[in-house]
Amino acid sequence: MSLIELQDVSKIYRLGSQEIPALTGVSLTFEAGEFAVLAGPSGSGKTTALNLIGCLDHPTSGHVIVNGLDLGTASKKALADFRLQNIGFIFQSYNLIPVLTAAENAEFTLMLQKVPKPERRAKVRKLFVDLGIDGLENRRPADLSGGQQQRVAIARAMAADPHVILADEPTANLDSHTAEELLELMRRLNREQATTFIFSSHDDRVIAQARRVIHLQDGCLADDLTISK
Amino acid sequence: MLFTLAFRNLWRNRRRTLLTLSAMVASAALLILALGVFSGMFRDMLASATEQYYGHLVLAKTEYHERRDMFAHLDEEVASRYITAEDTEIIGISPRLRSFGLISLAETSQPVELLGVIPEREKQVTSLQTKLIAGNYPSEAVNNGALIGQGLARKLKVSTGDEMVFVTQAADGSIGNDLLIITGIFATGDSRHDNNLVLAPLGWAQKIMVLPGRIHEVAMTLADPMLAALTADRLNPRLPDDVEILDWGDLLPEMREVIAAYDVSRMIIVSILYMATGLGILNTFFMSVMERTREFGILMAQGMRPWTIRGLVLLETCLLGGIALAIGLTCGAVMTLYMQQVGIDLAGYITPVTYAGGTILPRLHAVFEAGNFYVPAGMLLLVSLIAGFLPANRAARLDPVQAVREV
Amino acid sequence: MKTIRIAGILSTLILSAIILLAVRPSFALDVEALVRQVEQQYMGASSRAQTTMLVKTSHWERSLEMEAWSLDRDYFLVRIIEPAKERDVATLKRFREVWNYLPKVDRVIKVPPSMMGGSWMGSHITNDDLVKANHIEKDYNLRLIEETDTYFLVECLPKADAAVVWGKIVYRINKTPQVPEQIDYYDEEMVRVREIHFDDVQQIGDRIVPMRLTVLPLEKPDEQTILHYRELVFDLPLDENYFSLRNLKKR
Repeated sequence: MSLIELQDVSKIYRLGSQEIPALTGVSLTFEAGEFAVLAGPSGSGKTTALNLIGCLDHPTSGHVIVNGLDLGTASKKALADFRLQNIGFIFQSYNLIPVLTAAENAEFTLMLQKVPKPERRAKVRKLFVDLGIDGLENRRPADLSGGQQQRVAIARAMAADPHVILADEPTANLDSHTAEELLELMRRLNREQATTFIFSSHDDRVIAQARRVIHLQDGCLADDLTISK
Repeated sequence: MLFTLAFRNLWRNRRRTLLTLSAMVASAALLILALGVFSGMFRDMLASATEQYYGHLVLAKTEYHERRDMFAHLDEEVASRYITAEDTEIIGISPRLRSFGLISLAETSQPVELLGVIPEREKQVTSLQTKLIAGNYPSEAVNNGALIGQGLARKLKVSTGDEMVFVTQAADGSIGNDLLIITGIFATGDSRHDNNLVLAPLGWAQKIMVLPGRIHEVAMTLADPMLAALTADRLNPRLPDDVEILDWGDLLPEMREVIAAYDVSRMIIVSILYMATGLGILNTFFMSVMERTREFGILMAQGMRPWTIRGLVLLETCLLGGIALAIGLTCGAVMTLYMQQVGIDLAGYITPVTYAGGTILPRLHAVFEAGNFYVPAGMLLLVSLIAGFLPANRAARLDPVQAVREV
Repeated sequence: MKTIRIAGILSTLILSAIILLAVRPSFALDVEALVRQVEQQYMGASSRAQTTMLVKTSHWERSLEMEAWSLDRDYFLVRIIEPAKERDVATLKRFREVWNYLPKVDRVIKVPPSMMGGSWMGSHITNDDLVKANHIEKDYNLRLIEETDTYFLVECLPKADAAVVWGKIVYRINKTPQVPEQIDYYDEEMVRVREIHFDDVQQIGDRIVPMRLTVLPLEKPDEQTILHYRELVFDLPLDENYFSLRNLKKR
């Protein structure tokens, strides 16, 4: 059984009486331990696909099956609980809650999972070391650089041990050097800890790092390449 | 951590939060002060009605309560038969003989109500001794010393030391008349007492009315006037059928209504004032929620339940309410304390107003009453919750997909 | 108050006597004329009376011996002789004012307007009775409502602007001798609240007068005031100086 399975998924947004198809008949599967990128120009449906995979949104038609569960008609609460246990999200920018320190941000999902405080402290400390941001625990997001913020976001996403981490253009707002470092970090985590990463990007340098590149064009699957290195 | 998050969120827009907070503090504090002053006013009114005339409980023949029939008299030792030392809530007992008659000085005569009292006993029930503007309270030493009101003194153009004649119909049909010497003049602010009431020694009154050893009523004071009705209910079964104890609520039904109405108007005042405060809270939190749309989206994406989001916002409003309450209660208590200890004298601007059987004195003076604190406090928290609910609901119902797009 | 009552009674008596004397020759009786005549005949009259007043209430009963003087209808003085405790208590009426003298405290007290409705000397006669009894024809419209072989019935209804205490007064006057028999007083709701009965008709000099009158407050059936004239003398040489405050105090 695949970790994630999209079966003939379509998503149509309605803007007043107008229907805007964002995804049309996409079928995809992802296995555990993948490091995949959804590529394509903006408006091609990358973010929509990530949102559907991440159970933030319901498809208009078709099925999204994550970890064996189809949450097609589940309630917002059920979706939230599912995300909490299974999905980690990293957004393009401003991922962090500005009033919480870096460590508190990273602990947040653990707190929601009701993990006891000492345990989540320990876990986050270790993650911060792993991610090279140890020593920044008590800084507020405003006092962190863009790359540091994204690392904290990764820490938060990883803290809850999700089945998959979804990252929507995680490097878009970073300079190329920092972006490369971040990508390198994600690759290392994927390699060493078998964390599954699916991210979207339109940056060729990012795409070049991926082992699987799924091209989307106008909401349709254009290409699905697995690159062996 | 939710609590930490809520607390820190409060101070993200420090100025806005402080403004809202100060509005809440001001409304709570001023409300507490205003209610304290209102209570002080009612306490004055009740005191004027009870401590200047009736006392808190009055024992008399039922017939006397109804018609003031001068022949419905009692033995002057009646109280000692029914009230014992164990009735500790009764702190003053004064037997009285009442006579309606005419006070006269040459050409001027005034109809008056004369109370024959034992001065030392009467002082335990009424507080006219604290309202003296001239002379002294009658004492046992002068057998025909009288205390009269300021209005009566003015009408008769008399002062302390003057003699005047009291004329009344005695119980044997004769014309009871004798001289009184004015030992003191009181001013309560209640024109009915100031213009009509005369206190004279009980023995003198009994003699002039030809009612030796008899009284009309026993006025009593309680440690807590609010327990008067309960005490009356407890004592009445001990009494013979034709004797009855009435409490001040029976004697002054308007006063009882005023006090009951006060409880309602307190709620109304609190509601109106807090409505405005509530709108301020509502506005603040709506803005705060709108500004944090993306954050809520991210929190939702992390797996935060809608109800937890709602709880977070409500926690913020309640925290603000709690802080406002702590400061507001403190300020309110301090101001009330000041008004209780010092107060503001308005005697130069307004005259006493008599209403519902009591007199509202020309002063602002507060008293502490539990209800004046917990009603505003409880209501402030309630208002915070209600005002927080709409923004909280809005936050909880955000679509995370839309929300994370907001920057 | 009793004194006042007495004055009223005296007036009535005198009126009656005068009526008896004066009216005899007239045939068709005009009430207005009769009253006017009664009034005029009363004017100038003076009197002295020795009376006993018996007051009975549900709580006590007492008897007062009194001496009274009157002049016109505006002056009236009465002094208690017995009981000893109240000896020399006196009431003076001059026009519409009433004073009481209290020998115990040696003070003269003017009855204030608010007390005019009060009882006089503990009786069922009010201070107002003393003052207003003799102004009937000024404050009321008189009308003969019934005439039989033996009596006249005269109804008095208050004039529109009159400040009066009664809603209606009805006089029943005997024809021969022409003396009042009964007066009924009605309150503003036209409920009869008081009756005065006259009896013991005697000849005093050249007048015929009922020597006893009984006041019955109808609201208190067991109470009454009886005023009995033991001695009555008319046309004494009194003038208004006699009815002075100084004389009120004189023992």
